[in-house]
Amino acid sequence: MDKWSLRQFLTNRQQQSYVISLGAFCAGLLVVALACVLMLITIRGLDYFWPRPVQSIQFELPDGTAKQVYAQINERHINSAVESGSEPAFVFRYSDSQHPYGRSLLVEANAVEAISEAAQAADILLINGSRVFSEPLSIRLPEDQSGELTQYDEIRDTVTAIREQIETVRKERLASVHRELASLDLRQVEEDAPARLRLYADFERWQQEVLSLEAQLADYQLVTRFNNGREFLIPLDDIDRLSYPGQLDWFGKLGIVGAGVVAFLTDAPKQANTAGGVFPALFGTVLMIFVMTILVTPFGVLAAVYLNEYAPDNHLTSVIRICVSNMAGVPSIVYGVFGLGFFVYLVGGNIDELFFKDALPAPTMGTPGVFWASLTMAILTLPVVIVATEEGLRRVPEGLKSGSYALGATKFETIWHTVLPMASPGIMTGVILAIARAAGEVAPLMLVGAVKFAPNLPFDGEFPYLHLDRQFMHLGVLIYDGAFHSQTDVRSASLMFASCLLLLVVVFVLNVLAVILRRRLRKRYLRGY
Amino acid sequence: MLKLFEREQLNLAKLPEAQTAIEVRDLCLRFGDKHVLHNITMRIPKNRITALIGQSGCGKSTLISCFNRMNDLIDNSVTEGEIIIDGRNINRKKENLSVLRSQVGMVFQRPNPFPMSIYDNVCYGLRLQGIKQRRQLDDAVERALIEAALWDEVKDRLFESATTLSGGQQQRLVIARALALKPSILLLDEPTSALDPLTTLIIEELMADLKKRCTIVIVTHNMQQASRVSDYTAFLHQGELVEYSDSDTLFTLPEKKQTEDYITGRYG
Ligand SMILES: Nc1ncnc2c1ncn2[C@@H]1O[C@H](COP(=O)(O)OP(=O)(O)OP(=O)(O)O)[C@@H](O)[C@H]1O
Ligand SMILES: [Mg+2]
Repeated sequence: MDKWSLRQFLTNRQQQSYVISLGAFCAGLLVVALACVLMLITIRGLDYFWPRPVQSIQFELPDGTAKQVYAQINERHINSAVESGSEPAFVFRYSDSQHPYGRSLLVEANAVEAISEAAQAADILLINGSRVFSEPLSIRLPEDQSGELTQYDEIRDTVTAIREQIETVRKERLASVHRELASLDLRQVEEDAPARLRLYADFERWQQEVLSLEAQLADYQLVTRFNNGREFLIPLDDIDRLSYPGQLDWFGKLGIVGAGVVAFLTDAPKQANTAGGVFPALFGTVLMIFVMTILVTPFGVLAAVYLNEYAPDNHLTSVIRICVSNMAGVPSIVYGVFGLGFFVYLVGGNIDELFFKDALPAPTMGTPGVFWASLTMAILTLPVVIVATEEGLRRVPEGLKSGSYALGATKFETIWHTVLPMASPGIMTGVILAIARAAGEVAPLMLVGAVKFAPNLPFDGEFPYLHLDRQFMHLGVLIYDGAFHSQTDVRSASLMFASCLLLLVVVFVLNVLAVILRRRLRKRYLRGY
Repeated sequence: MLKLFEREQLNLAKLPEAQTAIEVRDLCLRFGDKHVLHNITMRIPKNRITALIGQSGCGKSTLISCFNRMNDLIDNSVTEGEIIIDGRNINRKKENLSVLRSQVGMVFQRPNPFPMSIYDNVCYGLRLQGIKQRRQLDDAVERALIEAALWDEVKDRLFESATTLSGGQQQRLVIARALALKPSILLLDEPTSALDPLTTLIIEELMADLKKRCTIVIVTHNMQQASRVSDYTAFLHQGELVEYSDSDTLFTLPEKKQTEDYITGRYG
């Protein structure tokens, strides 16, 4: 028996080297796994921006009707079908006269008769986020004139100018008329007072102007043709971007990617979060993290300072310490429920009773909002900050504290001038961990204020500018939402990955900022210790 | 032998009040149940250097920490007896510790500069007292650094981090930091034990110089140092004051057997 034991087989030195190799292997595996995750998300995320060729497809529907359409094929589905050995099928999104704004379809391979590149077909992105695949023919101008496609850019500029004119009239004229009318209402001016009549006349005039401008706009149309020969008119005013993916070279494609990234970062989601950009979600995520950081840092630091410097060294303190560390392990959804039950309903409800009584029963603070979400996340990340800060406080040499006391400093002055600066890198570590944790949570946020679609940003030009009581959008929620759409829709799957990528970038940037700050603090306060 | 004639001898037992910097009366101190100092009574003369010697753990650090009440920071310490500085018992309850500690400066065994600039280190105590005017601070910093014999070495780098200084420079910086508050008493707890002989010499010279301005109490394990720099020496053994007299007498003709054994290195 003994002959076969591993001990006999290997010398001590060999055993050691095997253990080291195993460790290195595990570490390597981790790195590879991380790299894979990052690669997947990056590639699939960037795929959202990459222009796909428009193809001409001829196929037969199950009921026997033949169709010829322009479409974008989702290559991923074809590949996976081929690999799994099942009946190959095509999943694509096409436009025709029945479904001009696109429809996703799965067609078995044997029903497809022909596929060919369609360089003449354009991928037309509309302002509302939907897409039309068709072949532009000409441009229809007012008074039944028609323009060449080559003039597209100029004509588009004219259209934009008219649109801007309408917006100016709306914003500057009509809005001021509305305001004045409202103030008259407030002062209960009579219905036929001359001031009122004059305003009505003004309103009428500007309204007419807007209507005539809009009529003018409606006359500018892009004439396009679907693959089956039917014509389709698209108002130029509705078109966001028009591109011919089949005719693009690399630079052109990169240009499209660039424009797509910019639109992704600055636009609002469209078509129920399956198209458009993610700006509100990005803004909401960053705002939530900022407010949370502002809330959690002072609380965490105060608590840690109390525990470490002031609390008597007894059982109660150690019990509190254990509780704090255990709080970090409580499932986050529990915090969400706590935030909803305690902050939103109890605290928020009571604030409404006390301060916003005239608005009831419509709640002001007693409803989920970005402030409550931040507060909930602050509670959730509090243990992390406390533990890291305590670690930092413990590292402050006793001799420095004595030195400070010996110069006549009180306990508070010693903590403020000596202990906290030296603990600041530790505090930053806590903040970094808190940010990383908070950015990744979705479930508790959905209970206390994050929504799939919020009509308003929590920030606008209206006093008090920052509306922390409003609901907000969050990248994590968008991803969660996207995961449900993604099973049927190609583009929105990519949108989900692109949002993932953005979330990673946000966390990464925030972390890098915090790490830089921590390095500077370390250099400043901990050099030589 | 020459030294003997340089120094006027004071009768420590009957030191007049005007010449007493610290008067200790029946001082007892314990940490919890552990009695560390037993009935210590002594008078420390003004503008002199008094050395405390004794075996490790005999309570030297504890004794000098009583003079600026640093023992208060230790939770379970209990002090009894009186310590009179400037005509008042500093052990009374309502003693203002900030004022006391700016009056009685302390330098520790290991240099402990704050992680700030040299300038800010020296200003630390002054800023705590609410002095904000730049001119006033500048003057105080320069004066303190000159007194601590550090000015020439650091005058061009006042705003560099203090932790970049060498150990000996750091120790002098810490002394300057205490001197900036113009203390009347300076407590030095083994100030040179972490330093090389040359730097030790610089600090010893510095002490001889500072004696004009303040009373110095120094704890040391180095007999040569004690006899070299101090005017008076107290020998502590297990928390009791065994012998206290002028240094020449104590090191040449000790009265007690214990003292003799210790200074000749027979134990401890
Ligand atoms: N915080 C404390 N709690 C309990 N006992 C203490 C504490 N600080 C010191 N002591 C004890 O008090 C006694 C005197 O300590 P002290 O530091 O005064 O000695 P010392 O004479 O300065 O020694 P050394 O020369 O090694 O510095 C020692 O026995 C020590 O163990
Ligand atoms: Mg000591």
